[in-house]
Amino acid sequence: MPFKSTPQPFNAAINAVTVGVGDKAMTLGGENVLPLYTFDAPISNPPKIGFEITDTGLELAVPGIAALYEGAATIGERAKKAETLEGVDFISLKFAGADPNGENKSAEDCAAVAKEVAGATSLPIVVEGCGNAEKDAVLFEKVADALADKNVLFLSAKEENYKAVGAAVGLAYGQKVGAESSVDINLAKQLNVLLSQLGVKNENIAINPGSAAVGYGFEYVASTMERIKAAALSQNDTSLQMPIVTPIASEAFGVKEAIVSEEDMPEWGPAEQRGIDMEISTAVSAIAYGSNAVILRHPESVKTVSSFVKAMTE
Amino acid sequence: MALKGLDIFKITPKTNCKECGNPTCMAFAMKVAQGAIPLEKCPHISAEVMAELSEATAPPMKTIKIGAGDKEFTLGGETVLARHEKTFVSKPLYAVSVCTGQSDEKREKVLSALDTIDYDRIGERMYVELIEVNDGTGDKDQFIELTKKALTYNRTLVLSTTNAETAKEALALCKDEKPVLNGATPDNYQEMNAVATEAGVVLGVCADTLDALYDTVAALEGLGNKNLILTVSDKSMKDAFAFAVQIRRAALKNNDRTFGYPSLVHVNRLAAGDHNMQTALASLFTAKYGSIVVMEEMTYSQALPLYGLRQNIFTDPQKPMKVEPGIYPLNGADENSICMTTVDFALTYFVVSGEIERSGVPVNLLISDAGGYSVLTAWAAGKLSASSIGKFFDEFEIEKKIKNRTLVLPGKVAVLKGEVEERLPNWNVVVGTNEAVELVKFLKEFKG
Amino acid sequence: MSVLTDLIYAGSDAVAGLTEGLVSDAINQYGAEKTIAFPDTAYFLPTIYAATGVKVKTLGDLPACVDVLKSLISKKEDLGEALNAGLATAVGAEIIEALKYVGKEDPYADEAGIGFVPDPVIRSLGVPLVTGDIPGVAVVLGKAEDASAAADVVKDYQSKGILTFLVGDIIDQIADAGVKMGLEFRVVPLGHDVTAVTHAVTVAIRAALIFGNITPGDLPGLLAYTKERVLAFVNTFGALNEIAVSAGAGAIALGFPVIVDIDLAENQVPGALESVLDHKETVKHSLNLRGIRIKIKEIPIPVAFAAAFEGEIIRKNDMHAEFSSQKNPAFELVAMRQENEVEDHKLTLVGPDIDGEAPVGLPLGVVVEIYGAKMQADFEPVIERKLHHWLNYIEGVMHTGQRNLIHIRIHKDAYEKGLRLKDLAEALYCMVMDEFDSVVDKCQVTLYTEKDTVAQLLDTVAMPRYDARDERLNSMNDESCDTFYSCILCQSFAPSHVCIITPERLGLCGAVSWLDAKATKELTPLGPCQPVPKEGCLDEVKGVYTEVNKAVEAASQGMVQNVTLYSLMQDPMTSCGCFECICGIEPFSNGVIIVNREYKGMTPLGMSFGELASMTGGGVQTPGFMGHGRHFISSKKFISAEGGVERIVWMPKELKDAVGDKLNATAKELYGIDNFIDMIGDETITEDPEALLNFLTEKGHPVLGLAPLM
Repeated sequence: MPFKSTPQPFNAAINAVTVGVGDKAMTLGGENVLPLYTFDAPISNPPKIGFEITDTGLELAVPGIAALYEGAATIGERAKKAETLEGVDFISLKFAGADPNGENKSAEDCAAVAKEVAGATSLPIVVEGCGNAEKDAVLFEKVADALADKNVLFLSAKEENYKAVGAAVGLAYGQKVGAESSVDINLAKQLNVLLSQLGVKNENIAINPGSAAVGYGFEYVASTMERIKAAALSQNDTSLQMPIVTPIASEAFGVKEAIVSEEDMPEWGPAEQRGIDMEISTAVSAIAYGSNAVILRHPESVKTVSSFVKAMTE
Repeated sequence: MALKGLDIFKITPKTNCKECGNPTCMAFAMKVAQGAIPLEKCPHISAEVMAELSEATAPPMKTIKIGAGDKEFTLGGETVLARHEKTFVSKPLYAVSVCTGQSDEKREKVLSALDTIDYDRIGERMYVELIEVNDGTGDKDQFIELTKKALTYNRTLVLSTTNAETAKEALALCKDEKPVLNGATPDNYQEMNAVATEAGVVLGVCADTLDALYDTVAALEGLGNKNLILTVSDKSMKDAFAFAVQIRRAALKNNDRTFGYPSLVHVNRLAAGDHNMQTALASLFTAKYGSIVVMEEMTYSQALPLYGLRQNIFTDPQKPMKVEPGIYPLNGADENSICMTTVDFALTYFVVSGEIERSGVPVNLLISDAGGYSVLTAWAAGKLSASSIGKFFDEFEIEKKIKNRTLVLPGKVAVLKGEVEERLPNWNVVVGTNEAVELVKFLKEFKG
Repeated sequence: MSVLTDLIYAGSDAVAGLTEGLVSDAINQYGAEKTIAFPDTAYFLPTIYAATGVKVKTLGDLPACVDVLKSLISKKEDLGEALNAGLATAVGAEIIEALKYVGKEDPYADEAGIGFVPDPVIRSLGVPLVTGDIPGVAVVLGKAEDASAAADVVKDYQSKGILTFLVGDIIDQIADAGVKMGLEFRVVPLGHDVTAVTHAVTVAIRAALIFGNITPGDLPGLLAYTKERVLAFVNTFGALNEIAVSAGAGAIALGFPVIVDIDLAENQVPGALESVLDHKETVKHSLNLRGIRIKIKEIPIPVAFAAAFEGEIIRKNDMHAEFSSQKNPAFELVAMRQENEVEDHKLTLVGPDIDGEAPVGLPLGVVVEIYGAKMQADFEPVIERKLHHWLNYIEGVMHTGQRNLIHIRIHKDAYEKGLRLKDLAEALYCMVMDEFDSVVDKCQVTLYTEKDTVAQLLDTVAMPRYDARDERLNSMNDESCDTFYSCILCQSFAPSHVCIITPERLGLCGAVSWLDAKATKELTPLGPCQPVPKEGCLDEVKGVYTEVNKAVEAASQGMVQNVTLYSLMQDPMTSCGCFECICGIEPFSNGVIIVNREYKGMTPLGMSFGELASMTGGGVQTPGFMGHGRHFISSKKFISAEGGVERIVWMPKELKDAVGDKLNATAKELYGIDNFIDMIGDETITEDPEALLNFLTEKGHPVLGLAPLM
């Protein structure tokens, strides 16, 4: 009896969510198979790769990243350089400096930065907040206004601020809302339902159901994403069919393995390569468990992960 | 569908004879149902019933053992496709590859790294478990020489050659160490099978297509060999992944036991010379369905994420990872630095210690035994209490070892403050933050 | 009624006539091609666009609109029809206001009012409206008899964060009273003409279009949105002419109640059009009528309030005052009341405060009275249990116990800082309103410290209430309810596990009763507990319901398809791992054994609790084995499909002692057996199945006469 290789696509699909405008707009999701299972059905929108630019330029401490930006004085110029990187699908602009416990930059200043970046690149833009729920709500409203016609995805609306973010970003300015919940399928679902009740349409929602570097509780991320995809595809659970966007950069470059200097840990080798490997491993794992887009910080990671995605889906 | 415990109980003699090593027939039946012991352990079930049931009780994916002594490893035996469904039982093993014909310099680099990368992470030894010896030139003597060299590194070997003669001679050197013989193809499987069976080692099967692989496995099973590993395609990344997923899915979901074997993935061949892409692929196949992942080499920068990933994915989802109780001095803390305490749940420890490290403030992090639960769960289960903290202080003689008398409690168990103060009257007990992310600010502003 | 409808129709007619005239004048003056538009909006003439879908762009588009407007004025003697005529007035007013912008850049340049509110302002207002940061919108119009009273009303709205639009001469009255105006102060003058009210109306309408995704032309959808989601209301000051009445009818049609300060007597329409003559009551009444609740951000007490103080212990020497049931009558009670019995935020102390030399010892009765449209008596204990936490959160207050056995201490430092009993009441009030706002509309707190009063209230009010609750708990059964609840609190570690909680079967963790689940659902509607209708009964004995199966399948993401409520052998309920007890079949006696988590020894099954747990937990179904809570053991529903509690043949001694009385009662009731517990084995009798069988035979255990389990 020969092997029966039967494709096993599902009758349900992940929502297709478009971010950005013009030729370079990108669509996340749309697939009716598990992540990378092209042998079940073609995946027309392969996972997308974002490149992270921070307003504070904290990533410039890494030599390989600084090299990319050589000669770029402003954040707009940095965005221009980033756009030329091979494999970049979108720019992720992170407002680390807006954190009230840090530089506490005003929402107006951030909106000006956003405008500058949007003026410099035609790639789709994802905006990441500072993580402070209250500040992000204010920040996103201003940035959503400044980038009113750019069809931007905002990361993210959380349980604490979903009303403000959903209303400002999703309703008032018709942008895309990223819903972030803490590694639990039911919390993810609950937030999606709350956003829809607020009036944000499903096709305007992407989700970030939690992220972590590999080795740092990544199993919870993995299982949460696997369960979300299973519920979305096999159970046709419409409140979980949103594409998943996972910020990898700050997780990967935030763990000891990527931070500790070579002087402190000589046998570990150069810190930069450790950051790259940590980022690649985390990004590929996230994609394997369900991310429709990952946000990366190092040009080398972008190069590898984008060729990986290409090789796996074309 | 596996049999339920009660169905198995019905065919036991129900005498509680204990000959199977279990106190009751019920206990025996439940363990068989879990796949923990084979039905054959019961001497009183008739051969007829046994035959009828062995198929139903046999696990969908075989458990394959490779290596010997302290280098013995278990592969396969999985019953689920996703870790949340139950538990993965066998973590993938990493191999580095040496090859006849490759430069000595390169080989030295690969092998010498093996001693360096050997460390402990939350109670698990992290090292490269296997070396694959590749027949790059087809020259038997070179292969034998290389096998001899590889054997000096005290690892279990994967001998990859399609030449049965070469295989036979190499196995003569090391068959007691139970290496894997990898290289049965649709063309040579009969000879390779004879060599592997005679040596009593696991046989790796390769083929270009899933169909050919399937037929070859079926043919080998027909010859009585069910001690196999399946090598996935090395034609392209996409094919390799398609093989790995479809093999595992056929066995576990579609109950096709011909594919019920562990898999071997040649990441080294799929992305030869590309360090970063090998990191990517090794991660992919760690996440999904690689049993042995062969890399060109393993550098420390690759090992750190890969072993972390593997440890994460292959933990029992119902049993949290724990760190050892004790004093963890961070940021150069000494006896005059403040103390903070939290639970031994590994994730909590990592997150809390990470944030403390980010703050730069010297802190003695005190981890007491809380059953591996998170703060609130441990508190609710009574595993984190004033008396558990007090007991920890006594056992580890904290008051002798540390002069500072400030202890910060996790904010979520503020309720313990009073009791802890009573239990540790010499201490200034402070309630910390609810979330770890708030620690940097808390510590920087803390005047204690 | 007819006076009111007559007035409305008269006003609508007047506005219609005026509009028609102005439209034809404008067309004569500028020509039909002349553009008409409000500034900075994508919604044309928003009321017309939203209600009909028509995009008015030129003057030539207007006559058709006037016809529609006139058709709305049916003159039928019916309030609903009259309200439609009010909408006609709104449309007319919109046209009249829009005409002001024809040929003029800013017709409001010389006005105190701002006229049309542009889209960007609405976008920025929308967010605080959606989040509740702006709790409501007041439209204040007319000319007040008493300007200072009107100013007080507006100031009160301002202090509560309400957005107030002003229309008419009241603008000048408010300005003269020194009220700061402008968007940032949330007091916005629109214009002196009564038609300027349209600028408030279009704000509500565009909010519906922008934030409510209402399709232009979907009038019922529009009206439903403004009624349910735009928390606006109208206050009028001074005498009303027919145009104002007609405009008010339009507001009512949009769902905005109108509160007037003249006596309408029998012309009032409860809930929609009401007279409030005393201006001191205007704000409160308006907010109540629209169901607007003001969130308290900080609790105004002289000491800190935070969860961090929960673990504080106050020693005798540090204590200023003490209330202890040991020494004095003391109790705390949360009681549901009728709407008219509760005055929101009324805090009362009956009796002496804690002033004086330490230690002050007093009796204490804490009575929290609650009214809420969605409040149920079953939530009383849920809220009452929180009193303990809230009082502990107050810096310098320690609280233990509940009901009529409580003990409260107040620290000397807190007393020094000025903490008094009313502050306790304030904290409780704020927390009730904050945490239970989904069910509580009004709350008042009364503290009693006179011995006789407290003792009397304890006997006549509190104790009967406690007893009634206990009685209800004991009398509830699965037959008498029509809803079960699913609970997925444990899914983070047992992903496919779902508990079905019924009145007689609490969650297997022992912590979530049916009442808790019900309250959880009401308080967090999308939370872990969801109602499951008790419908589609397939097997009454085993407890098989199609709705239960559906709920379990959905909540387990398809991992578990069928569960029975009362059977151990067929599709038993799954277990997460937090079960208090496991019950498993003991084949030699045909019975079941139960082992609790605390028991470390061996059972007659040859398996310890740990071994049993490993095969029962994780959300898998293992027929013959099941996790459950301690309380379930004495339930009449305990494995009732297999015969019920008389199947129990063995339990650890500690568990037997804990559940013995109740189990005996159940066995007596079900089978007429006395002292059933004595027939059940335990580890002091034997851990061996054969010896157990002998013991059961000796005791004449009823299980020996039952049908085989498998």
